[in-house]
Amino acid sequence: MSTILTAARHELLASVRAKAPYALVAAFLGMVAASTFIGWRTSVTVTSIYDQVLADGLTTQPNPFTDVSPLYYVRNTVIYVLLIGSLMAATLGVQSALRDRKAETAALIGTRPVDGRALRAGRLLGLGLLLAALVGITQIITWISVSALVGGPLSASETLAIAGFGVITWLLLIGFAGIGVLSGRLLRRERTALLAPVVAWAVIAFVIPQLGTAARPVSLLNPVPLPAQDSGAFSWLSQVLSPLAITEHFKTASAALLESSSTGSPLASALIVALFACLALAAAVLIRADRTTGGTHE
Amino acid sequence: MTTAAISIRSLTHRYGPTTALDGLTLHIPEGEIFGLLGHNGAGKTTTVSILTTLLKATSGTASVAGHDVREASHQVRRSIGYLPENVSFYDDLTTMENLTFFARLSGLRRPEARIGEVLEFVGFTGHDRERVGTFSKGMRQRVGLAQALIHQPAVLFLDEPTSGLDPEGVKALRELILRVNADWGTTIFMNTHLLSEVTKTCTSIGILRSGRLVHHGTLADTVGAFPTDDALERAYFAAGTTTS
Repeated sequence: MSTILTAARHELLASVRAKAPYALVAAFLGMVAASTFIGWRTSVTVTSIYDQVLADGLTTQPNPFTDVSPLYYVRNTVIYVLLIGSLMAATLGVQSALRDRKAETAALIGTRPVDGRALRAGRLLGLGLLLAALVGITQIITWISVSALVGGPLSASETLAIAGFGVITWLLLIGFAGIGVLSGRLLRRERTALLAPVVAWAVIAFVIPQLGTAARPVSLLNPVPLPAQDSGAFSWLSQVLSPLAITEHFKTASAALLESSSTGSPLASALIVALFACLALAAAVLIRADRTTGGTHE
Repeated sequence: MTTAAISIRSLTHRYGPTTALDGLTLHIPEGEIFGLLGHNGAGKTTTVSILTTLLKATSGTASVAGHDVREASHQVRRSIGYLPENVSFYDDLTTMENLTFFARLSGLRRPEARIGEVLEFVGFTGHDRERVGTFSKGMRQRVGLAQALIHQPAVLFLDEPTSGLDPEGVKALRELILRVNADWGTTIFMNTHLLSEVTKTCTSIGILRSGRLVHHGTLADTVGAFPTDDALERAYFAAGTTTS
């Protein structure tokens, strides 16, 4: 246990001190903060157009934003988690795995009486805590900004929904961090190690959903998940590949939490995202690189 | 009868078709400062890598502090300290943070007091809050030695410890090595290709040539065989051709 805690503490400290992923972290936090404002501006713009159309007598329909939940303003965050958060998490994972190699401390660690799996688990724990802190900050930013826009604090159920969205976000990010750790550990060059999780991300976020939905790539940048095709080869493909469309499942679970329109089963989708995180973490703990020596921990 | 701190029998290691170590047999008693001499590529670092459990030998056996390096690697790691040739740390972290990490990995739960003690021993107080990335080679070497000593190992492995140091640094490190041995009774296994260092530091020496031990004896015996100013140099070049 002490090895796990030591490694976790070290991971947190070293990640915070390493300045390389700061740009991605700043972009992630900044866009999450901006997404509430974007949602609010959308609402204001549509309402002003609606008022004009209503004044001109061109519609008798109610304003689509009249009864919208305050959580509607958060829905764009889903896309920023997918686009920036996932890449940030994968980069942090790669940096974590490469740290000993870059610092040339592998030999020192290799002569210490520690279990390699405990060391790797501890580092993932540290990475998980770091991501939890970042996600926590985004949730606090979200809660404060939405409360400010609607003119009062969010209700308990809305606060819980934001917290739930934070949990599902963390599960997705730790999964991508695990992929980053594996890539950093198994691939020899830093550039390749950084590129591999990006390719994995592109396949998960774009290629697999496209094969199942026949959607245009730009449609996949919508926070609402796309319905699967119900006929032909795409229907068959969607059934086969559906469990692998992790980001679409993330959208489904998030949409349910944020009271957006959703297809599919949110609970099943949340479980698939959790399974993705568990598998990535298990692989990152259990798979060790053994390219050069027999006795080292890495 | 003295106990062997390091015991090696018929140790062989191959990297593909290349034989780096060829049937090395060696016994080093407790409390010795042993210098392993050899040219570049003689097998010195391979020997240390096997003894420090970083590398598994192709064949043969070795034990350190009474523990087999293959069967009881955890116990060996508890008993050893290691200073690699180019010691590196996490440059973004301070001396204290780096040493705390390695001390905890070595099993020390509250290492702060011990870190202070070891830093004082290696003459490096006052730098514990500075980032290691700002240190010179000599300063890193002191932090490296502190790291290797922090858990009071029975056996200390030093791989080319004075490599790249200026004369003051070499002298200071030499004095530290002698003090570690004298004050704490630590057995020291030192790889080097500097004959002068062996003369000034070691109590016994071994000479490796192309993976084979061609000479092993006390420093006094080795130098005594060549009673000249350059006795060790003569012994080194004669080893493998006239003596073994």
